[in-house]
Amino acid sequence: MTITRRTILKTGAAAAALPLLGSRAFAQGEPLKIGFIYVGTINDNGYNYAHNQGRLYVEEQLGDAVETTYVENVPEGPDCERVLRELAQQGNKLIFATSFGFGDSVIKVAQQFPDVKFEHATGYQKAENVGLYNARFYEGRAVCGTIAGHLSKTGKLAYIGSFPIPEVVMGINALALSARRINPDITVKPVYISTWNDPAKEADAARALIDQGVDVIAQHTDGPAALQVAQERGIIGGFGQGADMSAFAPETQLTAIIDNWGPHYLASAQAVIDGTWVAGDTWEGLKENVVEMGPYNEKIPAEVVADAEKVRTGQIDGSFHIFTGPIKDNTGAERVAAGVTMTDAELLSMDWYVEGVEQPA
Amino acid sequence: MQFRLEKRQEPSQLMVYATPVAAVLLTMIVGAIIFSLIGYDGIGAVREIFLTPLTNSYKWQDLGIKAAPLIIIGVGLSIAYRANVWNIGAEGQYVMGGLAGTWVALATYGMTGPWILPLMILAGVVGGALYAAIPAFFKVRLNVNEILTSLMLTYASVQLIYYLIRAPWKDPMGMGFPQTRLFSEAARLPTVIPGTIVHLGVPIAILVAFVAWFIMSRSVFGYQMKVVGAAPHAARYGGFSESKTIWLAMLVSGGLAGLAGILEVAGPFQRMVPGFPTNYGFTAIIVAFLGRLNPLGVIFAGVVMAITFVGGEVAQTTIGLPNAATGIFQAMVLFFLLAGDILVRYRLRRVSSIPASGAA
Amino acid sequence: MDITIAIFITLVGAATPILIAALGELVVEKAGVLNLGVEGMMLVGAIAGFAAQFYTGNPYLALLAGAFAGAATSMIFGFLTLSLSANQTATGLALTIFGTGFSALAGAPFSARPIELMRPLFPAELATHPMWRVLFGYSAPVYFSFFMVFAIWYFLKKTRAGLILRAVGENDLSAHSIGYSVKGVRYAAVMFGGAMAGIAGACFPLLLTPQWAERMTAGRGWIAVALVVFASWKPFRLLAGAYLFGLVMTMELYAKAGGGPLSIIPSELWAALPYLATIVVLVLISLRRDASTNAPACLGKPFLPSN
Repeated sequence: MTITRRTILKTGAAAAALPLLGSRAFAQGEPLKIGFIYVGTINDNGYNYAHNQGRLYVEEQLGDAVETTYVENVPEGPDCERVLRELAQQGNKLIFATSFGFGDSVIKVAQQFPDVKFEHATGYQKAENVGLYNARFYEGRAVCGTIAGHLSKTGKLAYIGSFPIPEVVMGINALALSARRINPDITVKPVYISTWNDPAKEADAARALIDQGVDVIAQHTDGPAALQVAQERGIIGGFGQGADMSAFAPETQLTAIIDNWGPHYLASAQAVIDGTWVAGDTWEGLKENVVEMGPYNEKIPAEVVADAEKVRTGQIDGSFHIFTGPIKDNTGAERVAAGVTMTDAELLSMDWYVEGVEQPA
Repeated sequence: MQFRLEKRQEPSQLMVYATPVAAVLLTMIVGAIIFSLIGYDGIGAVREIFLTPLTNSYKWQDLGIKAAPLIIIGVGLSIAYRANVWNIGAEGQYVMGGLAGTWVALATYGMTGPWILPLMILAGVVGGALYAAIPAFFKVRLNVNEILTSLMLTYASVQLIYYLIRAPWKDPMGMGFPQTRLFSEAARLPTVIPGTIVHLGVPIAILVAFVAWFIMSRSVFGYQMKVVGAAPHAARYGGFSESKTIWLAMLVSGGLAGLAGILEVAGPFQRMVPGFPTNYGFTAIIVAFLGRLNPLGVIFAGVVMAITFVGGEVAQTTIGLPNAATGIFQAMVLFFLLAGDILVRYRLRRVSSIPASGAA
Repeated sequence: MDITIAIFITLVGAATPILIAALGELVVEKAGVLNLGVEGMMLVGAIAGFAAQFYTGNPYLALLAGAFAGAATSMIFGFLTLSLSANQTATGLALTIFGTGFSALAGAPFSARPIELMRPLFPAELATHPMWRVLFGYSAPVYFSFFMVFAIWYFLKKTRAGLILRAVGENDLSAHSIGYSVKGVRYAAVMFGGAMAGIAGACFPLLLTPQWAERMTAGRGWIAVALVVFASWKPFRLLAGAYLFGLVMTMELYAKAGGGPLSIIPSELWAALPYLATIVVLVLISLRRDASTNAPACLGKPFLPSN
């Protein structure tokens, strides 16, 4: 490590006139250095935790062939740009930026380091050396919605989110569509709490929803706060988000949507080592195991599990797509004609709610 | 053996410069020991956090752009605090400055002309100053404590960003994500050193500090601020209006926070995003005090804070030091710096076992 | 009726930690010391409380651990500002940075570990009817917070020790010349404030959401500081302030969850409302009365007796 540092320092002194660039060449036979940046802490037991598990998976699979580094709690904006440059200068040849808000910085830094490959999660700006990757979480939501549709007694579901971004809107709609296939009277109540990380507020939002008759809660925030309230109040259930959270709510977690980034990270790392990496645009789901379902809670009746499995396997073999018309929005207007499936681009910019979703504040 | 603190006749000039150096050295030694004891590479951590940002020339530009907003806000706050006006809502004024400038940038989207950027900067200063005018108004008219109002307004301002970028200002091409569009070329802050990311905000920060220093030490305004803060009764007697001082202190500190806000939007961000507020306004409070409420001291303090931020990330990438450990290092250096202040005003005297007659 | 009771019960949960932390800060400030490190001390209390509950399963020990950890953290502040007369504002902010970092480092092994919530103080039979739940449905810290409102009011108003504490905050030099130990009183006050902040922090994993999450107090410590000002340093007004803030925060969630006409208000405005409401109410109070802020005269100023 000291040698590496010195080398960089020397190059730095030599290139003082142009202090921006100065990445080390990637020599053959050396391990591939891979950098990861996370917007939150790896201990969030949710989104960032899952990405870090993916990093560990790559290390485990490729052993000495790779050397990984991560930086956590990176704010979006200039701080992110600096960290990306830092990672590139440290000789990382493949860098994963795991939050949407890192997009602008990735594009800027990628221009400065054309020989470094970047991959940006959940974004939309591509470049020669910037690939995109994302996961079809909505497929998991469709499985959850199927279970909720069967089990809910009050017919009221809720969805706690941070902010109304397309990813969240898509999840709400997938939940509503799949639940209403089972029980057309079901309504979904989205609640946005306008903060990313305030577990106490999340828990209070869950309390407010349960007090008003909601008996199945889904959440799109990191961490198990809402699920724990569901357990405490003994409602029918909720779903783990990002990771299996059954430890927090053994009786209440019906199933979980598990982010499994490992296979994607492994494939990208291998491609860089093999010299076959090209800037891709992948959006993988249940089929590729990038999205996985947690164990079904034993209290769910067998026929409900069977129905949920049908939705899961249908999405894997391509026979079922939750966003296939006819789909009406919550004002009653038809948005998707019968038999038509929404395109990825339409899904990724979704900003309207399907029938049965109450318009949120 | 006992020690006693004894007040100096005058603040020690030697200590003014020696204590910060000693504080940083102490942090390095104590930090290295503590972190080695709990199982981290303590010496590596110290090297990466405190030395690499200084020895690695790539990092200088990072220090510059990280320190610039801290310095600009810190200078404003140091003026306000001199006058005993406790504006702790600089974060909110920074946000409002950024939003006001963004509004100009969006309204002039697609236009060109050298007037756009100055107009944005003006809007930023005015936006920050107007937001600070709310606590000032309530303080002057109703004697409502400015600590509460300025702090609460900060939280409200963050929600205003969220609202604006989700609804009226949302980028039509942004795939539904909550952010404004990228500013057009004329609305972006130019870089001042070719080949680097050092933008115009860095020289502006230095300039602001020097101008503020000159004004505070040479002008009636500066005198008024200091007198009202140090001796309100004497100030009233001398004909300085307390209300006017509160207004000036709030508007100047708010305006400068707004300036930092718009420079940050137009420089590194180039659009308004949800991640825009990054605690510069709160960190700058520490910077102001660390700089002993002296605009030139604020430059030093801003750079020290920037080193700990930048170095903390280096330590994460090179030796895998967790982000949380950086916070502890940062707190430690602040604790030592603040503790060192006492040696500027006092000296340590060894006390002989027999008390001198008429002691204390 | 039932929903009103439900709202009230959630409100009590939201207001309790803020109230406890703010009561501690009130005593500190009454002694003339401004400790802006409440958020940091709360976080240290939260992780200490979590860890104690995790290992012992005894929530009272957990509260005690929170109190102890908060008090210990406050002593860093105490030593710097009282013994070394360092600047209080900056030291308080640095303490928050420290508490955030320390709790995150200490808490890393506890992620993904659940704990038991603290049970209500009274037996469940007492709280079967919703009306009785309003009175008997809470766990100990809630009753503690109410008790402390009264106790601190009594202490400050009616006891000799309280008089001394106020004297130290109003005029440290005369208190010193009469022979009171200004530093001693202030150390005690700071330690008390730290212990209260620690208990308030421990309430997060014990009462609200039984997990450890980095920065889980999410700014409530700052609200506590602001509410002391709101309350003009009066305990009963602090109670009102904490419940007003908690009410608006809780109403936000119930309105969003309930839908209906209130959905027209944008989500972000709802989220900003508790802060704006606090300002508005304070301004209204100030309109009606002779403007006297009642701030302790020595607040935030170092004690520098000329030897």
